[in-house]
Amino acid sequence: MGRLTDIWTITRWEVKKSFNMMSREVLPFAIVLFILLVAVTGFAAQTGMHLQDGMYRVGVDDPEVASLIASDARFTVYQEDQFTLFDNRNSFDLIIVHGLLYPGQTDRAKAAQKTLERDYAKYVNSVYNQEADLFAAYPLWIDVQTVKSELSFLSTQAGQYVQAAPSRAAPVPQGEISAIPTPSSSLDFTKEELRQELIKTGSKNTQISRYTEVLASDSTMGSFKTPSQLSPPLPFDSIILVFVFIFPLYFTSQFFMMSIMNERIERKGEVLLSTPVASSSIILGKMIPYFAGMVAICIALTLYVRAPLIIILPLIPVIIFFLANALLIGMLSRSFKELSFISIFFSTVATSYLFFPSIFANVHVISLISPLTLIVLSIQGNPWTITDYLYSTSLFWLTGAVLFYIGMKNFKEERLFSEKPLLPRIREFLSEIISRKHPFISVFLLTGFSIPFVFMVQLMSLTLFFNLPMPYSLVLLLIFAALVEECAKGVGIYVLYAQDPAFFTWKNMLAACAATAIGFLVAEKLLLFITLAQITESVFGSILFLSLGVLWMPLLLHFAGVLIVACSLKFWGRKGLVIGLVLATAVHCLYNLYFILGWIG
Amino acid sequence: MKARHLSIIARKEFRGLFNERTILLAVLLQLFIALFSSFLMVGLTSMYDPSSLSKYSRYKYNIAYAGNDSALLGYLESSPDINSPRDFRVYRMDLSTAVAALKERKLSAVVYVPDTSPAADEPVKITLYTLTNDLQSAIVDVKLKDVFLKYEKDLRQVRGSRLSEQPVPVRIPKTTGGGDFYEFVYGLLIPLLVFMPAIIASALVIDLITEEYQHETLETLISTPITFSEMVWGKVLACELLVPIQAGAWLLLLMVNGIAIENAGLILLQVVVSSLILILLGALTALHYRERTAAQFIFSTALVVVILFVLALPSNPLNLLTRLAVGTAGPEQWIVLGATGVIVIVLGYLTQKYAERVGKSHHTG
Repeated sequence: MGRLTDIWTITRWEVKKSFNMMSREVLPFAIVLFILLVAVTGFAAQTGMHLQDGMYRVGVDDPEVASLIASDARFTVYQEDQFTLFDNRNSFDLIIVHGLLYPGQTDRAKAAQKTLERDYAKYVNSVYNQEADLFAAYPLWIDVQTVKSELSFLSTQAGQYVQAAPSRAAPVPQGEISAIPTPSSSLDFTKEELRQELIKTGSKNTQISRYTEVLASDSTMGSFKTPSQLSPPLPFDSIILVFVFIFPLYFTSQFFMMSIMNERIERKGEVLLSTPVASSSIILGKMIPYFAGMVAICIALTLYVRAPLIIILPLIPVIIFFLANALLIGMLSRSFKELSFISIFFSTVATSYLFFPSIFANVHVISLISPLTLIVLSIQGNPWTITDYLYSTSLFWLTGAVLFYIGMKNFKEERLFSEKPLLPRIREFLSEIISRKHPFISVFLLTGFSIPFVFMVQLMSLTLFFNLPMPYSLVLLLIFAALVEECAKGVGIYVLYAQDPAFFTWKNMLAACAATAIGFLVAEKLLLFITLAQITESVFGSILFLSLGVLWMPLLLHFAGVLIVACSLKFWGRKGLVIGLVLATAVHCLYNLYFILGWIG
Repeated sequence: MKARHLSIIARKEFRGLFNERTILLAVLLQLFIALFSSFLMVGLTSMYDPSSLSKYSRYKYNIAYAGNDSALLGYLESSPDINSPRDFRVYRMDLSTAVAALKERKLSAVVYVPDTSPAADEPVKITLYTLTNDLQSAIVDVKLKDVFLKYEKDLRQVRGSRLSEQPVPVRIPKTTGGGDFYEFVYGLLIPLLVFMPAIIASALVIDLITEEYQHETLETLISTPITFSEMVWGKVLACELLVPIQAGAWLLLLMVNGIAIENAGLILLQVVVSSLILILLGALTALHYRERTAAQFIFSTALVVVILFVLALPSNPLNLLTRLAVGTAGPEQWIVLGATGVIVIVLGYLTQKYAERVGKSHHTG
């Protein structure tokens, strides 16, 4: 009870403090800026964005065509007679003589031609949609019906093509055939309704509207389209969600970060620490207003884009993850510029982690590792299960909780007000959570809890190296994955060593190495089990669990890796860490090459 | 104002950046974004122009044709042009069976054609069944769209006598591929990436100035021969110097990636001058609020307003970056540069006056 009162008191303080500061100085300015923002948005909507003006040069002999092309600001149009045009062909990207387009050969010319093609199609549309006999101008209408189907996880695992092998005979479905009613041959809309819609879509900038339609579908025509309107389904809807949902969250977490940082400046937080309130209560109390604010922002955004409210559920672990990181960044950085750079860095990494898998929403199960995918699914009206939820959010819950725990343990005077560089500070933070009485259990747990982070980093690297040509990407991925794992295992040992080098007797060292290796292995398999529960019945799952018998192999590998690091620490002191990590990574890579790829021998 | 004092302050800030290894983070960030944006490029390009995807596949797609005979069937079965192979393997199927097979991914699409005659008054309504939102169906749709367009042209010809007006004809030869990435890279990626250092630098100047206030190191600094306004200008200088370094690094990275950039020097010149506007705005905000949270909040909101406004103006500096990079910028670039310079001078004057006033109040108070 007393704890709740404490938290509540701190929360009230926090709200009052930030409100005081905001109302006095910031609020008037913020209101002015907001009005300006609305005005500027209106202005920009009227004049359009002028980022790509004048990219291409076009020469035309016909004034009618010239005015047609000049309506797109991307083109600078020159009107000359045909001889001048042909003589100066190289100074134009495209020339149009007697209604025939002569393309240039450069990349710019090719891009110009594509743009012109789209513009011309739009123009033709604008002429045709005025026709009295609309169905003579638009004789063909396509009714697009989408059918849901998920790519089987197993077939891609096995590297198979999803489609049936080529055959002469028509494919026969294996499952049940549900009767599809014969589509009616008439459109459900009147001619004038269709005309209005054609005029509307013709006047819109399709490149922008395609993204906004994801959030607010304002088409009254439903699934009816003319062939030229048939844009393919967009698998990349999610980028807009990143902007809409993640950036406000990032922005608000900045305030929490600053509030923590402010306590540390000139030891202002000393008063707070000297009260008999537990540090966890202080952190919770300070955090609650920001958490509530972020949830409120999300709800407001959800209501605004008229999405189902259930998308708040996957956003909550993301909010917690952002706040946990904000707490630690606020506690770790020594100066404002360090705070800025670390937080920019963190937000870029986190945003891309959230973003990239959701591109593949509906295509591949792997997309579920990002909570954004659940949001994409909800907006599309597809249900997801509790297992999906656990799968996509468990890493966020886990990492968020671990970070909060580290933050709470370190929220005290000697940590908050120290002026040491970043890396030693991180080491100190970690050593705080290693118990003196039970060092081995601590190392076991520390290594175990590093697994979610290792997974995140490895998944991240998968996308990054995806860009490179094939052999390099695989080799780099192998090396990087090994390095990340060795670093995660090395952290516990290093912290233990840095805390007290005398503790490092051979016996203790071996025990610590064993604890680390076991912790790593257990957590790795456990997390794989939780996150891949969806496919445990599959071949993949059975391999995972049948392999329990041969678990001693990876255990030995983990033990060897961490032992190398520990030995080099023992021989060369703290400087040995880098050498140890490099050696351990090399051993790890060789093991992977041998067993996974069978390259050697 | 003494140049030596400015360089002392600027050097102090640089030393701080290096000591904290923040500069390392900035480099890492840049590399990360570079890697990530090349991944993004594949995604975003297909967003801009999904037809570029179809190049990647030389696969023959199984589709089902249900309903009545039409010229469309012939188009589906023939190849798009003489040189390329057929895109589709078409099966005549019953609609329900076909949709069931589609759900099992044994087909890529199902087309149903009604018995409307080509010359009828009402339109021909074709029902197309495809898979929801996936990469493969995106490719199939692009190919199907071409076929539908051909069929539409046919039907339009049949009904041509009923049309009252024909559009101005422009015949566009078939594109030969390439040019897909162009508009995205030059029209979006380059201006944004090259301008990002300016935004980072302006956020940095706020940090540097508010830090002196909040850490109460200001009094010590002003008690030296360095005046308050010299201190402000030294910080502005330090941030300004970071801009060409980072922007230059971007240009280099892009060039290493095989993206030819013309006028790299002129691009840097434009960025350096226009970034001064943001940095001075940041400095003014910081001088006014003397507290990081408020200053950063107000500044980032103002930044959105300013950038949106600038983008809405024709021949704005960001547009100029695009035009310089593709090599279509004319002499108007110097007018833009001049205008930017004037704004910089005005803001610089304001900063100087404001800093002098703040400095005086510090000395008297």
